[in-house]
Amino acid sequence: MALTLEHVSKRFGSLVAIKDLSLTFERGAIYSIIGPNGAGKSTVVNMVAGSYTVTSGVIRLDAHVVSSLAKHQIARLGISRTYQNLRLFDGMSVLENLEVCFFTDSLPGLFRRGGHRMTKVERLKRCHACLHDFNLADVAENLAGDLPYGRQKVLELARAFVTDAPVVLLDEPAAGLNHTETKEMARRIASLKRSDRAIILVEHDMDLVMSISDRVDVLNHGELLYSGSPDAVRRNEKVQEAYLGTAAELDIVRKLTEGRRTSGGIRAHAGVVRH
Amino acid sequence: MGKSVFLRRTGLIVTLLVCVALLVKVPALPPYYVRVADSILIYIILAVGLNIVVGYAGLLDLGFIAFYAVGAYTYAFLASGQFDIHLPFLIILLIGAGTGALAGILLGFPVLKLRGDYLAIVTLSFGEIIRILINNADDLTNGPQGIAALDRARIFGLPLISPTNFYFLLLILTIVVCGAVYFMERSILGKAWRALREDQDATRGLGINTTGLKLAAFAISAAIGGATGVIFSAFQRFVSPESFTFQESLLVVLIIIIGGVGNIVGIAAGAILLIILPEVLHFAAQYRLLIYGLVLVVVIVLRPNGLIPPAFNLGHVIRKIQALWLSPSNT
Ligand SMILES: Nc1ncnc2c1ncn2[C@@H]1O[C@H](COP(=O)(O)OP(=O)(O)O)[C@@H](O)[C@H]1O
Ligand SMILES: [Mg+2]
Repeated sequence: MALTLEHVSKRFGSLVAIKDLSLTFERGAIYSIIGPNGAGKSTVVNMVAGSYTVTSGVIRLDAHVVSSLAKHQIARLGISRTYQNLRLFDGMSVLENLEVCFFTDSLPGLFRRGGHRMTKVERLKRCHACLHDFNLADVAENLAGDLPYGRQKVLELARAFVTDAPVVLLDEPAAGLNHTETKEMARRIASLKRSDRAIILVEHDMDLVMSISDRVDVLNHGELLYSGSPDAVRRNEKVQEAYLGTAAELDIVRKLTEGRRTSGGIRAHAGVVRH
Repeated sequence: MGKSVFLRRTGLIVTLLVCVALLVKVPALPPYYVRVADSILIYIILAVGLNIVVGYAGLLDLGFIAFYAVGAYTYAFLASGQFDIHLPFLIILLIGAGTGALAGILLGFPVLKLRGDYLAIVTLSFGEIIRILINNADDLTNGPQGIAALDRARIFGLPLISPTNFYFLLLILTIVVCGAVYFMERSILGKAWRALREDQDATRGLGINTTGLKLAAFAISAAIGGATGVIFSAFQRFVSPESFTFQESLLVVLIIIIGGVGNIVGIAAGAILLIILPEVLHFAAQYRLLIYGLVLVVVIVLRPNGLIPPAFNLGHVIRKIQALWLSPSNT
């Protein structure tokens, strides 16, 4: 029982963003996808979540062929995500941002297909419990757009987890966070690991990645360069070479191979425009 | 403190009583005024209906009057000598809501992939197509001559004759529609519409079928348009295509914009202003439209978010009343 990518490729015109990628993500673990900017990490997330269609190959969740479904159907199967750039509903309250996740569950049977109809009381209970878990209870009634950036990142995380989805994709949850917030985010994500859930993390902060991942997949130019435990990735020569590509990242590899953790948190994309 | 609560509570009761008294007393005015009041109520209902699509779901629909026309002709077909069918008014009211909703879904399916300006233009064309269709389908609609001598509407045997009868019917429908729409706005459906308006893609990412969500907005709003058309046609006892021009669609959109998009209280204010204004301006003869246009421009410039601020909505009014009611008074 797992999420699998089988020989998946993605082309944008002449650009091959993902080339023949095969990966398996089992429940009960945290996976990280790393790689230099433009390696195709977000493209993988977007294909799994149905924002992009695959050019070739198949993505499956257990027995379902995810890659032939519409985006909302994929979400209904239990694949939820956050976005590299925040996509909250700014004009709605924090609580409402979570409530809409249960819209389809709250519909009468005719429009819902299966399951029982969620009542308003149940919905609010779930959402308030989630807000409590994510330390957002005090701002439940505030507009999402009025929260400080760090808390908006947490709210987006909460929105991805509130429905208990078995697969959660996190696209750079720590981007733009300060050191303390990043530490907090790492602790939070680690605590969300559960035997019935696969967490797939795209992240540039190597401290965060190395401290909480069970497996790290390294992408380079749309291809899987290496896949293994954090320690194995740190020692792998091919990975080091790939990261030697840019001057900014040279430093990181050096620090990583020396096995030292810098206090400021390492950002492979420091000063680079995000896509 | 207790004293001020007492005063404010008394003030509230007086205000509410004055409102109710005013509404009930309208029929005591000369028939001309009652007709204007009827017209205002019709446009409030239409605008509150269209607001579901424009204000909640954020889709600009410039052909809304087509659904009103569908409802009006539904009454004309089912309560006249045209096909010699004479169904009761209340039944046709329901059928009219149904045919309106059906027309909304038929329009919705092909156009909902479009956004923004493209959607506006296609809906505009749809409105015109319906009108031109009515104008040319002589066998069905008598074309430009329209259908006359429609049945007199009856509710439980009581005939609706005067503008006053229709005034009360429209008043009830206005309250019912505003209440139902307000309930929808507050429900999870209203929240999903707001999410859709803010970010369609992220909304789909939460497992929400956004096409269905838009269709629901189109269908509900068109049902309200259809039902209103039935009443209009029962009131006039005559329908012809010229009641359903693009100007009418535009007027309903204007009411929403001038009053305050997404705000039921604002829409009521917008309808009152835009319906009364031309009547008041009768004295200005040929300058009437010029002044009308100027007033609109002034309103838009001074209050770009509408006459009534977004914070002053029906929910705000209801909460104010509740708070005053529940607050302790130790006079
Ligand atoms: N929607 C798109 N249209 C065209 N090219 C895209 C699109 N999305 C991503 N790309 C390209 O695909 C490559 C991989 O991008 P992305 O997956 O965002 O990289 P990463 O997240 O690893 O930084 C980049 O060259 C990027 O420019
Ligand atoms: Mg990215």
